[in-house]
Amino acid sequence: MSVRPYTPKLDPHPLGPKEVTWWGMLLLITIEIVIFSGLIASYFYLKLYNPEWPPAGIDKKQVLLPTINTMILILSSVSIYFADKGIKAGKQTQLKVGQALAMLFGLVFLTLKVVEYSGYDYNWATHAYGSITWTMTGFHSAHVISVFLKGMVVLAMALRGMFTPERHVAVEINGLYWHFVVVIWLPLYFTMYISPWL
Amino acid sequence: VSDQPSNRQLPEEILPSHVGYTPDEELLNQAWAPPKGLIPYIFTPVNHRIVGLRFIVTAFIFFVLGGILAVIMRTQLAAPELDVVSAELFQQLFSVHGATMMFFFAVPMFEGLGIYLVPLMIGARDMAMPRLGAYGYWTYVIAGVTLYVGLLIGHGADAGWFAHAPLSSSLEFTPKMGMDFWVTAIGLLEISALVAAVELVVTIFKMRAPGMSLSRMPIFVWAILIMSFMIIFAMPAVLLATITIGLDRLVGTHFFNVALGGDSVLYKHIFWFFGHPEVYIIFTPALGVVAAVLVTFVRRPLVAYSLVALSLVAMGILSFGVWVHHFFAVGIPPIGLSFFAAASMMVSIPSGIQIFAFIATVWQGKLVLKSPFVFLIGFVFTFVLGGVTGVMLAVVPFNWQVHDSYFVVAHLHYVLIGGAVFPMFAGLIYWFPKFTGRMLDERLNLWAFWLLLIGFHVAFFIQHLLGFMGMSRRVYTYSADLGWGSYNLVSTVGAYLIALGVLVFIANVVKSFVQGEKAPDDPWGGPSLEWSIASPPPQYNFLYLPVVSGRHPLWDGIEPDGEGDTAADRGIRARPQVRDDVRESFGTSLMDAEPESRVNLVAPTYWPFLAAVATGVIFVGAMFTLWAVPVGALLFYFTLIGWHWPFSKELAS
Repeated sequence: MSVRPYTPKLDPHPLGPKEVTWWGMLLLITIEIVIFSGLIASYFYLKLYNPEWPPAGIDKKQVLLPTINTMILILSSVSIYFADKGIKAGKQTQLKVGQALAMLFGLVFLTLKVVEYSGYDYNWATHAYGSITWTMTGFHSAHVISVFLKGMVVLAMALRGMFTPERHVAVEINGLYWHFVVVIWLPLYFTMYISPWL
Repeated sequence: VSDQPSNRQLPEEILPSHVGYTPDEELLNQAWAPPKGLIPYIFTPVNHRIVGLRFIVTAFIFFVLGGILAVIMRTQLAAPELDVVSAELFQQLFSVHGATMMFFFAVPMFEGLGIYLVPLMIGARDMAMPRLGAYGYWTYVIAGVTLYVGLLIGHGADAGWFAHAPLSSSLEFTPKMGMDFWVTAIGLLEISALVAAVELVVTIFKMRAPGMSLSRMPIFVWAILIMSFMIIFAMPAVLLATITIGLDRLVGTHFFNVALGGDSVLYKHIFWFFGHPEVYIIFTPALGVVAAVLVTFVRRPLVAYSLVALSLVAMGILSFGVWVHHFFAVGIPPIGLSFFAAASMMVSIPSGIQIFAFIATVWQGKLVLKSPFVFLIGFVFTFVLGGVTGVMLAVVPFNWQVHDSYFVVAHLHYVLIGGAVFPMFAGLIYWFPKFTGRMLDERLNLWAFWLLLIGFHVAFFIQHLLGFMGMSRRVYTYSADLGWGSYNLVSTVGAYLIALGVLVFIANVVKSFVQGEKAPDDPWGGPSLEWSIASPPPQYNFLYLPVVSGRHPLWDGIEPDGEGDTAADRGIRARPQVRDDVRESFGTSLMDAEPESRVNLVAPTYWPFLAAVATGVIFVGAMFTLWAVPVGALLFYFTLIGWHWPFSKELAS
């Protein structure tokens, strides 16, 4: 070979699939998907072997409030996308605003969940239906709380101007997990609120 | 390849690929220095060799503990109506024995081997996320201590290692705290296993030496990769199982309370969806060890490398379709029975491919009969017998007949000890020189082997017959007129022989560690990269970051010179960019291992230990008060902030 081939430039701060944490997060998401799938499968398994589901005396869940709430959660995901786009283009303000908005939407979602669940006259210890629905909601809400707390750290770092278009792996990884927490809510929403009406 | 072990000292030779690249050994030594001082040395190491060895040693301690419990049980069963232990204690003994061997010995042992060996085999300086390994280790220790504290204070797990509901989930049936300890210990252990699996997958995906495409990875690395994926897909199910049992016990949910709409078979599905893959989570890396040892001692590349790699993948996938065969007797629709019986039999196809590939490799090779290989013979002999009884158990009517009898006990010990413990010993002997820089005493190895092999078959073969005679598993004693006495005595004698074999092995390890023969870099003439460096390896593993252009880098004799147009050549040219003054290694692409980045690897830190303690507060505390959950979670949150905060000045500026 007469032409000497090129020498790759090793990237010290890679992003996306070139970055090890990105893969780590993807695998964490896989683990979580298995857990959520187990919960959803358990819901339908219990439904299959219960003559009445939801049990007698419980109305099918109303869908209006949860549907609005789901929209709010999706808006938080959009905000995160907006923040990520911002830092990729070097727009610090867009990053801060997007991140703060996402956290605000997350907080509204949690508040409305509390409002919704305080209206139910059964809890996890009433019957198996209560157990599985409270567990699904509680487990997911714990995830929303955790992305909110993680978001606080990312916001604090953003306010200190610690991210640049080249170096913002924390924004990217946190965003990836945030989108997961939003997307995994959709099958849960379908299971608990829509499937009883079908 | 020569017939005899080569004893070569590779780093001293200047290979063509080393030309024009002079890493600064002193800087590397500084960057990779282990923590100084006793307290930092205990709590802060994150390096894969330290963490990996800790996993291996701790897992072996649990192997011994589980073995002691087994010996106590066999002593109780040696003759009819003995009173060595009470019925209640016996119940705790077999539950904790099973949980120990399945969760606290087998899985962490092979994860430890993976954590130690994978970076050495793929030519990396550390694991991709070193702190995660340390965190996994500490959660593992907290989990194991919890399980045994429960047993010692009289609240050992007492519903079997699989803890079937509602026995395990209702305070009415298991009023003592044993199952709370089980839930806590297993929950923590799952976290440990999951983070180690994530770390292993990412390392194998992203940190292989330039040129080591997927199809050039050693089979051992393939096996660890598949084990890790199986952990990622199976272990969350048991996490769910422990969470639901814990909720039923601690906050009064009704997942498994039939009176209020719960369902106990649901638990069986959740648990065994994990439980059967678990067997393959243990067996797959054992096969990886078999392949590594085999290839070295027959001095020939593995026959049908691609088929073996693919059959490992196939076995991993199929193992997720067989879980119901663990409870055929519970009342499953016929179509379900047929499906799961067929899937169970199908697993024998990939297993067959592997065994025949191994046999063909031996057939064509030149055998060097050293003790690691002798253990492989023990593996094949024992495991094939276990496989045969496995096919018998896949036949539904036969399964019903021997269900919950000693036949099943015999079968599972043939599969697990044959399939995992013999290969484990082979691997430990094979890599002991790399771990410690000393050789094990060959004569004592053979003593240990014969004691283990004979003891094993004496102890367990006869249990098949006991099963046919109707002896049920988990009984703490039996009446003399059943005529099982002499059979059980034979089995107990076998158990003592096994214990003696393990003692001989431990004595050998201690003796060799102190005064064993010094090991050369490559005592066996192995083909993979871990043998190209000193025994034990230097702190930074590889002075010259290796590149790879074949499946057997130390045998192929192909040395890229850095002028060509392959990933390995590009690796040679990019290599000087990897820094010597901080902990760094190559980041390469997933399929072809094209060099693309520098992976920053962290230095020793306390955060993983603190995070593990916070995790422990959540799980252990929840047994006593639910307030432990938010408090522990908050502590965990703060430790994670400390873990991730970019303290380096470089970023802050």
